[in-house]
Amino acid sequence: MAKGNNSEYKKMIDKQYKDLMKHCQLHMEEIEKNLPEPKEDLHELLKERGFSRRDFVKWTSAMTAALMLPPIFRPMVAKAAESFSRLPVVWLHFAECTGCSEAFLRSSYPNVDDILLETISLEYHETLMAASGYQAEENLEKAVKDFSGKFICVIEGGLPRGLNGKYLTLGPKGKTGIQVAREVTSKAAAVVCIGSCSAFGNIQSAKPNPTDAVGISKAIGISTVNIAGCPPNSVNFTGTLLHYLMFGSLPALDGLGRPVWAYGKRIHDYCERRPHYDASEFVEEWGDKGALKGWCLYKVGCKGPYTYANCGKVRFNDGISWPIMAGHGCIGCTEPGFWDTMAPLEKPLDEKTYGGGERTVDNIGIALTGAAVAGVAAHAIASGIRHKGDK
Amino acid sequence: MEKFTSEKEWSVAMRINHWAMALSIFILIVTGFYIADPFTVSRGETVGKFLMGNVRFVHILFGVFLVFLFFWRVYLAFFSRFHADWKDFFAWTNIKCTIDQIKFYLLITKKGPDYKTLYGPMQSLAYLGLMFMVFVIVITGLILMGAGYHAGFTAICYKILRPIENLMGGLAVVRYVHHLFTWFFILFIVVHMYMAFWYDAILKKGTISSMISGNIFKKLEE
Repeated sequence: MAKGNNSEYKKMIDKQYKDLMKHCQLHMEEIEKNLPEPKEDLHELLKERGFSRRDFVKWTSAMTAALMLPPIFRPMVAKAAESFSRLPVVWLHFAECTGCSEAFLRSSYPNVDDILLETISLEYHETLMAASGYQAEENLEKAVKDFSGKFICVIEGGLPRGLNGKYLTLGPKGKTGIQVAREVTSKAAAVVCIGSCSAFGNIQSAKPNPTDAVGISKAIGISTVNIAGCPPNSVNFTGTLLHYLMFGSLPALDGLGRPVWAYGKRIHDYCERRPHYDASEFVEEWGDKGALKGWCLYKVGCKGPYTYANCGKVRFNDGISWPIMAGHGCIGCTEPGFWDTMAPLEKPLDEKTYGGGERTVDNIGIALTGAAVAGVAAHAIASGIRHKGDK
Repeated sequence: MEKFTSEKEWSVAMRINHWAMALSIFILIVTGFYIADPFTVSRGETVGKFLMGNVRFVHILFGVFLVFLFFWRVYLAFFSRFHADWKDFFAWTNIKCTIDQIKFYLLITKKGPDYKTLYGPMQSLAYLGLMFMVFVIVITGLILMGAGYHAGFTAICYKILRPIENLMGGLAVVRYVHHLFTWFFILFIVVHMYMAFWYDAILKKGTISSMISGNIFKKLEE
C-alpha cells in the first residue's frame, strides 16, 4: 500500500472483488440448475415468524461483514440464504452431548440464523428425525446414495478409537462410530465438524482418555472444516455453509481447520475488557470491587489470550451477551485439548492442575536457584581452602 | 617477579553483543514475571493507567532486540573477522578434556586441562545450551507476540511459526514453555556469574574485565 499508488491499489482490489463476484454469480446459477428446489420459501417462513424484510436485510449486512466481504456481496448472501434449504445435509452424532444441536435450535426467540438452520434440508439427523431403528438406517443409506458427492456431512461428536471403536456403536446393525463416519464422509462433498468434540475430541479426549477418543480428522484421517467451540456460535456454522453456497468452496482455514473469518483472532483481541488488561486492572476474586467495575478477568482464569474465536464480536443468543460480558472468563473451548491445557477454568495458568502449572514451575525454579546459589557459595569456600596459597 | 602479557580475546562486536544481551535478558525476566502474574493497580481512573500496556511494550521491545542480538551472535560465530568461534562451541566433544575439566571444577585436581579452543569443554556446553535457550524463548516469544499483533514483520513471522504453535498444542502450552525457559536463564545467570568470578580468582587472568576491555592476561613462562 505505497503512498502514491492508492488509486492503483484500489483498482486492484476492485478488480479482485469483481472477479470474485463473477465467480459467485456463475456458481449460484449452477446451484439453481443442479440442486433440488428449496423445500420452503424462506421469505414466507420469515414472515410467519414475524420477521420483516428489513430484519432480513439487516441480517444479510451483518453476515456479509462477518464473512469479511464488502457490501456489494449483500445480494449474493441474501440469494444464498434463499437457496439454503437446497443444500442436502446429513447430520451425524457420535461421542457428545447434543449440546451443539440444542444450542443451534433453541434461543429466546429464533433469529434468522436459527430459521435458516430449521429450513436446512436435513436428510438425516438423529435427534430430530421421526424414524428410528432400521428405518433410520435406511434413511441414511438413501440420503448418502441419492446425494452422493453433493451433500454436506455435518458431524457432532468425536470418535473413540479404543477397543477397535467399540466404545461407540450405533444403530440396529451395531456399526461402530468409525465405520459410520468412514462410510458417510467418503461420499460427502465436504465434512463440517460442529463443536470441539468432532473437531478435536474435547472432554472425551481429556486425560486420561480411557476410550482413546479423538476428533474426526484424526480418527479417520480426512481433512474437515472445524467449527470449534463448546458449543460454537450458530453464525460460524451458517456463515461457513453460506460461503460454500456462494463460492462452491470452503472458506480459508487455519492450520487446525477452523475458518479464518471466524477464528482468525483471539478472544483477547476482540475483548471489551481489554483496556482494563492494559491498565493493570484485574478482578482478584469473584465479587470484589474490580468485578463490580467490569475489570479484566485474567487473574480469575480468563483464557482469552490463548483462544482463537469471534465470540466477543458475534456474541450469543441474538447478540445479547457472551461469557466475558456476563462476568466469567473465557474457558478456551475452541482450542484443541482445552480441558487439559486450560484447566482449572477459573484460575490462571499459574494454577494449572494437570502436569503442574507455572506456579509449580516457579516453586521448582526458586528452589533450584536457591540450591544453585548455595552450591556456588559452598564451592567458593571449598575453592578458597583447596587453592589457598596458589599463585 | 612474574611477567604477564595482555592478549586480545574478545572483539568489540562480541563485547557489545554480550552486554546488550545481558541487559535485555535482565529486563525481559523482570517484565516477563509481571506479565505472567500481574498485580492490580487499583488507584486512579482507567484512562490514566497503562501499566500492563507499558510493561508489555518494554517486554516486546527488548524481545525483538533479543531476536536481533541472537542473529547477530550467530553471524559472529560464523563470520567474525576477529575470531569466528563456531567450532569452539563443540569443545565438549573432547571427552577426556571434559572429564579433566569436571575434575578441576570439583576441586579434585588443582590444575585444569589445557585446551586451545576459546571456550573450555563445560563452558562450550553451557553456551551451546544458552544458544538453544535463546532460540526457544525467541521462537515462543514471537508466536505469543504474533498472536496479538497482525501486521508487518510480526505477521510474516507468525505465519511461518503458526504450525509450530499447533504442533505444541496451542498458545497456552507455548506460554508455559516460554515461562519454563525463563528459569533456565535464571539458573544459567547464577552459574555463569559465579564461574566468571571463580576463574578470575583461581586463574588470575582477569576473566571478568576481559569482557569489558577485551583483553586477557597470560603468564609469560621464562
